[in-house]
Amino acid sequence: MKKKTLPKSSSQEPNLKGTIISVSIIGLIIVASWFGVFGLFLSR
Amino acid sequence: MAIEKLLKYEHDNKFSLTISKSESRLYMSFIGFAFIALFVGGLMGLLQVLVRSGYYTLPAGIDYYQVLTVHGVILGLVLTTYFIIGFQYALMGKTVGISETQFRVAWLGFWIMTLGTIMSAITILYGKASVLYTFYAPLQAHPAFYIGLALVIIGSWIACFVNWRQLYVWKKKHPGEKSPLLAFMVVINMIMWFIATLGVAASVLLQFIPWSLGYAATIDVLLSRTLFWYFGHPLVYFWLLPAYMAWYAIIPKIIGGKIFSDSLARLSFVLFLFFSIPVGLHHQLTEPGVQTTWKFVQIILTFMVIVPSLMTAFSMFATFEITGRRKGFGGLFGWFVHLPWKDVRFLAPFIGMLAFIPGGAGGLINASYQLNSVIHNTIWVTGHFHLTVATTVILTFFGITYWLVPHLTGRKLTPTINRLGIIQTIFWAVGMTIMSTAMHIQGLLGGPRRSAYSEYGGSEQVAEWGAYQVAQAVGGTILFIGIVLMVYIFIKLAFFSPKGNEEFPIAKEEMDAEPTPMWLERWKLWVTITIALILFAYTIPIIDIIQHAPPGSAPFAWPIGNN
Ligand code: HEM
Ligand SMILES: [Cu+2]
Repeated sequence: MKKKTLPKSSSQEPNLKGTIISVSIIGLIIVASWFGVFGLFLSR
Repeated sequence: MAIEKLLKYEHDNKFSLTISKSESRLYMSFIGFAFIALFVGGLMGLLQVLVRSGYYTLPAGIDYYQVLTVHGVILGLVLTTYFIIGFQYALMGKTVGISETQFRVAWLGFWIMTLGTIMSAITILYGKASVLYTFYAPLQAHPAFYIGLALVIIGSWIACFVNWRQLYVWKKKHPGEKSPLLAFMVVINMIMWFIATLGVAASVLLQFIPWSLGYAATIDVLLSRTLFWYFGHPLVYFWLLPAYMAWYAIIPKIIGGKIFSDSLARLSFVLFLFFSIPVGLHHQLTEPGVQTTWKFVQIILTFMVIVPSLMTAFSMFATFEITGRRKGFGGLFGWFVHLPWKDVRFLAPFIGMLAFIPGGAGGLINASYQLNSVIHNTIWVTGHFHLTVATTVILTFFGITYWLVPHLTGRKLTPTINRLGIIQTIFWAVGMTIMSTAMHIQGLLGGPRRSAYSEYGGSEQVAEWGAYQVAQAVGGTILFIGIVLMVYIFIKLAFFSPKGNEEFPIAKEEMDAEPTPMWLERWKLWVTITIALILFAYTIPIIDIIQHAPPGSAPFAWPIGNN
């Protein structure tokens, strides 16, 4: 009943594949730069 | 059912009060002051990079530290605070309104802040307060500098009280309704600011002012630094949260989308409130006299801030992706194409978001105990916060300026200014990439911050720095051109642009968004948790610092400070 009267909208989960990948890339950049400086720390 | 839902949606989303002419004048006074600060501070920045390149010396015996104090104080403290308070007043005026009394009290706050700013500025310009924006003891400035700072803080508290009152009055009139998202965010930011500034206020009133007036012979240096950083870290979040307000609630409208999640936005702000204050010791990792355990505890709390930060990043990408897909752009990254790249109201804050990726990564490095020892007090740190505050925050503020100023002055953002704005953004991006990258690298090579040009007696390591200092001068000069452009744009938008009606973009929620849970409005609970975390993180270290205080220090007005 409710479904029929409501205008069609994105009631299904939106597709957020690109978002997940983008945020993961940011996570990787953070980890990579951290280990970069950690390497410097160890080498000095 | 559907009709009811639609009506409720309409109701919840009609936050568009009109801002009157006299209100506009108040908001514009704050913002105009910020742009004066931008110009003066930017000029000092230019002088600094030129001096540091080794090819230029300051004329007329002007001291490098005087210039650097002007730069740090006027950009880090004055520009940011004025712009933020003006912007936040505009958000409150638009979403919950301002009463006659609140309006008058707000002006009082403006004048107290401005009196304080002018007092401190004159003291610095006379060379009586070359103590840098952190005013570390035992460097001692003229008392007028500290009294001016105290007035700025007190004036800003008035803005806190007015903003809280504005939401309180609105809630009385709208029982059982959730507060408008932007008003919620402003109130969170001002709670954080108030609790944080209690620390510096205590230090300035109880330590610095009596000591600089000669009533106290010595000062507890360690305590004063600890109180400063109790304020200093939340200070950076006080800058950042207004940028996040624009990202969460304004950018979606500009790109033709909706708010990704009202609840997520509120929750992230609550988490920022929790984890912004009990973390100041991460600036004092090399400080003797503070127990390692408590440094460690505060580092853990610092790292908690990754959670709301990544929530924010996720939310931004999701807004972009959902909006793009709805416009019919498919594929994994096809949605990226749809973004309005030619709209400076979007482009400037977007570049700001990009800068926060290396900015945030650098922040986690700074806050890691061992890695901090690699970069502590090097010019890397300066490179870091020119990404965070001087790019992420400032470019977002510029992005806001393009619509807020004409909205307030009854003018239009013309295509010509839009184009000029895009050029401005490119100048900033290019200049900052060059300057900040060079600073990061020079810092990793050991180059110190807060220092004019020196060859340090021709040491080999120092020879490696020269090229990077020249690069900083190149980048800094491009940035300064960016500042001149922006000041020109501001003057155009404020006084000369054609009359018209510029939109105040506030995004709406999705039609079928999950209702925001009411527990997010438990203000007393949020404040209690915040205070509990602060007491947990600071009580023992501060007792320890006071009980085992080092001998107090007599003032040093030389070699820099007050001579
Ligand atoms: C033309 C643009 C700019 C240039 C060329 C520039 C350059 C510099 C340089 C070279 C330093 C470090 C000097 C040293 O440590 O010896 C510095 C410090 C600083 N800058 Fe900038 N900057 C610019 C814009 C900004 C902006 C827009 C902000 C803030 C919104 C800002 C905030 C600061 C702060 C807080 C410091 C630290 C001062 C201190 O260490 O006491 N700068 N800047
Ligand atoms: Cu910090």
